[in-house]
Amino acid sequence: MMSTTLSVLADSTLITFVFALAAIGLAVVFGLVGVINMGHGAMLTLGAYFTWYATTSGVPFVPAVLASATSVAVVGLVLEHFLIRHFYDRPFETLLLTWGFFLITTELIKIVFGTDLRTVTNPLPGAFDLSVVTLPAYETIVAAISLGILLVLALVLFKTSTGIKIRALVQNPEVASLLGLNVGLAYKNVFVLGSFLAGLAGALISPMLSVDPYIGNIYLVRSFFVVIVGGIGQVLGGTLVGSFIIGGSETFFALFAGQVLAQTIVFVLAIVVLRFRPSGVLRPR
Amino acid sequence: MNNVKMSYHQHSMNRRSALRTMAIGAGVAGASLSMPGVLRFAGAEAPIKVGLISPLTGAWTVYGKAHSAGFELAVDEINAAGGVLGRKIEIIVGDSKTEPRIVVEQANRLIRQEGVDFLAGTFSSAERNAAGPVVASANKVLLYPTFYEGQEQKYYPGVCNKNIFMFGPEPTQQVWPHMEYMTKQFGKKFFMIGSDYVWPRVTNEFTKEKLKELGGEVVGEVYIPFNTPQYESALRQIRDAKPNIIFHTLTGSDTVNFRKQFVAAGMNKEFALWTVDDEEVVTTGLGPDVSAGAFVSFDYFMSIKNPNNEAFLNRFRAKFGKNALMNTVGVAMYNAAHMAALAITKTGKVTTEGLRDGLKDLEYDKAPQGEVKMRGLDNQMVLPSYLMKVRQGWTGVGDMFEEVRHLDSVTPADARCKSLPL
Repeated sequence: MMSTTLSVLADSTLITFVFALAAIGLAVVFGLVGVINMGHGAMLTLGAYFTWYATTSGVPFVPAVLASATSVAVVGLVLEHFLIRHFYDRPFETLLLTWGFFLITTELIKIVFGTDLRTVTNPLPGAFDLSVVTLPAYETIVAAISLGILLVLALVLFKTSTGIKIRALVQNPEVASLLGLNVGLAYKNVFVLGSFLAGLAGALISPMLSVDPYIGNIYLVRSFFVVIVGGIGQVLGGTLVGSFIIGGSETFFALFAGQVLAQTIVFVLAIVVLRFRPSGVLRPR
Repeated sequence: MNNVKMSYHQHSMNRRSALRTMAIGAGVAGASLSMPGVLRFAGAEAPIKVGLISPLTGAWTVYGKAHSAGFELAVDEINAAGGVLGRKIEIIVGDSKTEPRIVVEQANRLIRQEGVDFLAGTFSSAERNAAGPVVASANKVLLYPTFYEGQEQKYYPGVCNKNIFMFGPEPTQQVWPHMEYMTKQFGKKFFMIGSDYVWPRVTNEFTKEKLKELGGEVVGEVYIPFNTPQYESALRQIRDAKPNIIFHTLTGSDTVNFRKQFVAAGMNKEFALWTVDDEEVVTTGLGPDVSAGAFVSFDYFMSIKNPNNEAFLNRFRAKFGKNALMNTVGVAMYNAAHMAALAITKTGKVTTEGLRDGLKDLEYDKAPQGEVKMRGLDNQMVLPSYLMKVRQGWTGVGDMFEEVRHLDSVTPADARCKSLPL
C-alpha cells in the first residue's frame, strides 16, 4: 500500500513536470504577449525532428537538443518578424496565422522528413531503483530540467530588470512604451523565448515518444488545457497547477478507473473548474 | 415501403449513370472516328476502375505507404501482362485521412462519382466498419487487407457482409496457433494492453477464450485512448499484476510511446511481450534498442524465406526503392489485386456478382507468404502464421525478425455470422 502510494505520487510528479515542460512555451507566449499560438504543437514537432536529424547525423544528444531548441527559436523569430508582429492587437488574426503556420509546418515536415515513424535513442536508458519506487532515469532528468526552467523563468520575471519590463508590458503596454520601453522588441523577445521553450520541450520529449509529424498535437490540446485551467497570465504557478490537474491527477483516477475513464474524468474536471473559475484556478475574481 | 422506394431510387440512379456513360462513350467514339485505326482500337476497351482507399494522411499515415504500394505494384504487374479480359486496371485513390467519417465520403465519391467497379482498402476496423453500409447499399465489393478481429454478426455490415472479402488474418490464425507455445515457454498469466477500439477489444476476447482452454488467466486488462503520451499508470498496473506475458494490441504511435517508456523503466527484462500489431513499419519506428526481444505474430514478414517472397521483394524494391517497407497489410493488398484479377478472368464478368463468385474458394499460389486461399464459406483468407522474435541489435528489415515457429496454412474458425455461407 505504502509503495503504491509512493509510486503514484512519483508518477504523478513526473507527469506534471513533463506536461509543464510541454506547456510552458505556450503559457509564456499566451500569458505575456496574448498571442494564442496554435503553432505551438508544430514547434514541439520541429524540435523533435531536429533532434532526430542531429542525433542520427552523429551529433551527441545534449548539443543536439540545444541546437534544435535554438533552431526552433530562429523559426519563431522569422515567424514573428514577418507576420505576428503586425497583428499583436488582433488576437483572432494571430490565432489564424499561427494555425496556418501549424498546417504548413506539418506538411513541410512530411515532405522533408517523410511520414515514417522516427526514433530518437534514449540517451539515458534504465531506471533509478529507490527500493520503494523505480523512476525511469531519463524521464526523471527531464522532469528536473522542467523544474529548473520554471525556476529560472521565475528568477528572470521577478528578480531582473527585464522581468520588470515584461511585467510592466503585460499590465499596461501604452504606459510602458511612454516610459521608454521598446514594446516591439520586448514582444519579439518573449515570442522567441516561447518558441525556444517549445523547441526545447520537443527535443527533450523526443526520446520518450514516437517521432512522427503529429507528435506535437498530442501535447497541443493538453497544453491549452494546462494554460487555461491554470490561469492565463499565471505563467509559472498556473502552468504547474494546470499540469497537475490535466496530467498528474490522471494517475490517481487510473487507480480505480480504467485509463479511458481516467482521461475522461480529467477533462470533465477541467470543464468543471472552468465553470466555476473561468479565468483559471490561480486567477482571482 | 422504404425498401421499395430505396431500390427504385437506386434503379433510377443506375439508369441515369448508364445514360451518362453512354453519352461519354458516344463522345469518345465520335472523337476516335477521326483518329487512325490503331488508336481507335486501343481506346475501345475502357479500363476496369478500382477505388483505393488508403490512410495517406492523419494518424496512420505511417501505414498508408505499404498499404497503397502493395496494391499499386500488383496492378502494374497485371497491366504489364496485358490486363484483365483485355482491359487495363485503373486505380482511383481516395485518402481516408485515417477517419471513418472520411471513409464514408470517399467510398461514396468513388462509387457514385467515379463509377468504380469495386473498392479495395480501408485500413483499421473502424474504417472498414464505416465503409460497410456503403458497399452493402451500393452492392460493390470491398477487398479488405488488414489483420482484424474476426467476423461477428453484431458488427454487420462491417463484417459478415457478402461484399467484403478479408485478405488479412484474424485472431484464430494470428494468435491461437502460438498460444500453447507461448504459455509453455513463459507461463499462463496474461496482461492485456491495447488501444481503445474494436480490434484490440475483440482480439482480446478471442485470446481469452483460448487462454481459458489452456488453463491460463488474465491478470490485468487495460485500454488506452488514442494519442496518449504518458504510460506511468499502465506500467505500474503491469508491475503490480505480475504477469508472465504482456499481450499487446496498442496501435500506431501509441505503440511506440508505450514501448519506449516500458523499456526506459527497465521492464523489458522482467516480462515477455507479445505484440500482434508491430509489423516492419512500427518495429522500424521502435528502433533496435526498444524492440529487441519482443514476440510478434503475423501471416507475413519481409524476412520470410521463400521464392515467392524473394521475387516479390525484388519487384517491390525495383519500383519503390531499396529502403521501402512492406508489411502484412501491403502484401494483403497485393494479393487482393491479383486475386480480384484472377476472379474476373475466371468468371469473365466485371460485375459485383462476377467478382464475388470468382473470389469464392479461389486459390493463389504466387502470394509472397506462400499458398493462400479465399475461403468461400465466410470470405476469409486461409493463410500461414508466423511467430517471430525481434533480434537483438538488428540493422534493418532483413535481420529484424528471427523465426520462432511457423505453420504453413492455418484455417480460421468459422465466422460468427447469422447465416453461412455469406
